Amino acid sequence: MDLKYTPEEERFRNEVREWLQANLPAERPEVSESENMDEWMAFLRNWQRKLSDAGWAGIAWPKEYGGRGAGVNEQLIFTEEMARAKAPNLMNVSIGIELVGPALMHHGAEAQRRRYLPKILSAEEVWCQGFSEPGAGSDLASLQTRAVIDGDRFIVTGQKVWTSWAEYSDHCILLVRTDASAPRHKGISCLLVDMRSPGITVRPTRQITGETEFSEVFFDGVAVPRENLVGEINGGWGVAMTVLMHERGTSAIGYQIRLRSELDELMELAKRIEKNGRPASADPLIQQKLAQSFIEVEILKYNIYRSATQIARNGSPGPESSIIKLFWSEMDRRQKEVAMELMGLRSQLVRGSKGAVDHGRWQRAFLWSRAGTIYAGSSEIQRNIIAERVLGLPRG
Amino acid sequence: MIGFSLSSEQVSLKKLAHEFAEREIAPVASEYDRTAEFPWPIFNLAHDLGLVNLSVPEEFGGPGVSVLDECIINEELSWGCAGIAGALGMNSVAALPLMIAGTEEQKRKYLNRLTIDREVASYAVTEPGAGSDVASIKTTARRVGNDYILNGTKNFISNGSYATYFVVFAMVEKEKQHDGISAFIVERESEGVSVGRKEDKMGQRASDCAQIIFEDVRVPKQNRLGSEGSAFRIAMKVFDRSRPVVATTAVGVARRAMEHAIDYARQRKTFGRELGQHQAIGFKLADMAMQVTAARWMSWHAAWLTDNGQRNTREAACAKAFAADACMQITCEAVQIFGGYGYMKDYPVEKLVRDAKGIQIYEGTSEIQRLIIARDLLTSP
Ligand SMILES: Cc1cc2nc3c(=O)[nH]c(=O)nc-3n(C[C@H](O)[C@H](O)[C@H](O)COP(=O)(O)OP(=O)(O)OC[C@H]3O[C@@H](n4cnc5c(N)ncnc54)[C@H](O)[C@@H]3O)c2cc1C
Ligand SMILES: Cc1cc2nc3c(=O)[nH]c(=O)nc-3n(C[C@H](O)[C@H](O)[C@H](O)COP(=O)(O)OP(=O)(O)OC[C@H]3O[C@@H](n4cnc5c(N)ncnc54)[C@H](O)[C@@H]3O)c2cc1C
Repeated sequence: MDLKYTPEEERFRNEVREWLQANLPAERPEVSESENMDEWMAFLRNWQRKLSDAGWAGIAWPKEYGGRGAGVNEQLIFTEEMARAKAPNLMNVSIGIELVGPALMHHGAEAQRRRYLPKILSAEEVWCQGFSEPGAGSDLASLQTRAVIDGDRFIVTGQKVWTSWAEYSDHCILLVRTDASAPRHKGISCLLVDMRSPGITVRPTRQITGETEFSEVFFDGVAVPRENLVGEINGGWGVAMTVLMHERGTSAIGYQIRLRSELDELMELAKRIEKNGRPASADPLIQQKLAQSFIEVEILKYNIYRSATQIARNGSPGPESSIIKLFWSEMDRRQKEVAMELMGLRSQLVRGSKGAVDHGRWQRAFLWSRAGTIYAGSSEIQRNIIAERVLGLPRG
Repeated sequence: MIGFSLSSEQVSLKKLAHEFAEREIAPVASEYDRTAEFPWPIFNLAHDLGLVNLSVPEEFGGPGVSVLDECIINEELSWGCAGIAGALGMNSVAALPLMIAGTEEQKRKYLNRLTIDREVASYAVTEPGAGSDVASIKTTARRVGNDYILNGTKNFISNGSYATYFVVFAMVEKEKQHDGISAFIVERESEGVSVGRKEDKMGQRASDCAQIIFEDVRVPKQNRLGSEGSAFRIAMKVFDRSRPVVATTAVGVARRAMEHAIDYARQRKTFGRELGQHQAIGFKLADMAMQVTAARWMSWHAAWLTDNGQRNTREAACAKAFAADACMQITCEAVQIFGGYGYMKDYPVEKLVRDAKGIQIYEGTSEIQRLIIARDLLTSP
């Protein structure tokens, strides 16, 4: 066991830090993402072009697809440094970079990789993930959107739901049923679909936060070229598993670092908020809760180190990624509850209210933290996976 | 002494309130949540049925129900919508200081305005810099001849934009701390009173919260409630009556979330079974039922004590904190059980999470209730 970075890795860290210092965007849009998505996206695209030109967009991706060809540790260091510099995040990172990238690298044809991967890193193309359906969330294998082969194309009909970013996406990584008579897991295929194809309707849906980050997506006889099949026909379940494993494992690097930064901001907030004539940060109960949150951030960090080591050795995070997914999503909820408690009465004021603390960002974070235990496999499903696949217990 | 059945009058009150909530409140709850308007049509209908001004005695034109009855009614109305129930229930709270400390004349004049003229009143304690710690209020009342001159700002005052008078807490003698605070009836129309912008809230959006600003407002001495410096004691008596009721706001919201969760757990299937048949989900429902039931009994007990002239400070605090915390937990679990649907505005449970949060804050936060309980345990175990 050695939890220190190597000298080369430390050199890499310095290089990142210096580059960020020199290149961080001077100005950011005043509006939030939820207020003016177009302005935000234009801003992020510019920023990401800079990053990808300098080779920072896909640290652990192979060079031929626009990446840097480095390892998971460098990815970790880079993400840490981005957070330290308070740099804007990469665009569409949680879907394009973290899900579609690994899916195509593991299962895609060479032509597909060359066509799609570089444009994910340069932020020229945005992706969404069309897995869940009205009747198939946790039980993904019961999905019913159908694709039938018609010459050199598939014809897709059905409905997806809760598709994040669908409204802004160029492409969708879509799961469809291609054989209705096969056992459930063996009749599913994975297609890459151009979101501008005729027959696609995107209907944005309002969320608990008031935003429309996700949508319902309807497919009505949508033609998809046969060459857009990922891997084998009826081999989509394997692709889905790769995607889910990365969604639960690798992407946690970003979450851990976000939770750490948010804890710093919470401590900052506790110093600013007055309680009984002294800063809330001096209140023993609040101190206990902030200390607890720090402990949890650290636990998460070491679990991620363990998972990074596993990825470096085996190329895949394994079912243990469920532990990380469960842990970050549940600690996120606890941390945001502390934020609400800290603010007392003002926790009720949303963005736009005169007295709203930090423009209402903590209420949004509190409400948003309710999503983390649902998407990418709910807490209950993660516990089932841990019981069955990590502990080897029989199916419940 | 122990009896676990409601009287036949209570059964019909409950039925009346439930049917009202089901017919008049529930169908429009999400609309009012969106627009954050004051529910006037519902307020007027509730008046017709005697579901407003619950604490006001019959001699002043009110229904004059017991605290326990108010708990029963409020659970049902809150089941319909906590925001609308809050808008309907505020008069009952604002009237309490009058009943506790008002003179005959004050009561006749101001309570009749609520019951006969159907006006709205507010209870104004909280300030930008003082919530839990009432003794730190900065609104001052300066004696000048036979009048007081009020200066200060109150915020988060429920129904504040619509109130025609306020019961205002102000500091007369700062050095006396708690014993330096007095309560006043202040007319909305008095010179120097202004109502600031109403707040955009996360939950309970149908019940308006506004900032009220007092600038050199002249209040005649006969508008003081009780003796000078008695307001803190008045407030404590108000809490003994209002906390059991607020606890049932939490019970109503939690029960609504539980009912939705049960329905959904019977309809939706994953992995070939109804959700409720997965033990992980079935047990969540069981926990909800335990908490809702316990919270209801705790509130009823606290109400019963005060109705029977017994001290209920500890029990009311226990009920309020337990119910509010349980409500937060239950509504969050309901979202979890609804999965992705739970997160969508088109489904009913996300609103319940937003509504629940405020209950842990007003009428004394959950932390303050624990402070009260602990203090009580340590001084009179
Ligand atoms: C903000 C947000 C963004 C999302 N973005 C996307 C996206 O971009 N693309 C996409 O495809 N999907 C997306 N989703 C959908 C998400 O993946 C699903 O909501 C999730 O898989 C759960 O499925 P469900 O909602 O159908 O719930 P269900 O599967 O119906 O589950 C309902 C409840 O039952 C529990 N449950 C189910 N089965 C069991 C069991 N066997 N044992 C114990 N408990 C069980 C669940 O944990 C949950 O609490 C998003 C969801 C949210 C909230
Ligand atoms: C929907 C709504 C309606 C309201 N309506 C009214 C109304 O009509 N009239 C009115 O006067 N007020 C009203 N309020 C205000 C409410 O009563 C106050 O918000 C409440 O008393 C808490 O005060 P505060 O917000 O100033 O929090 P603070 O007192 O600043 O407390 C902040 C946080 O610190 C905690 N805390 C404070 N002191 C301690 C301590 N000693 N130990 C441990 N923890 C502590 C609190 O629990 C809270 O979590 C309303 C509030 C809401 C949300």
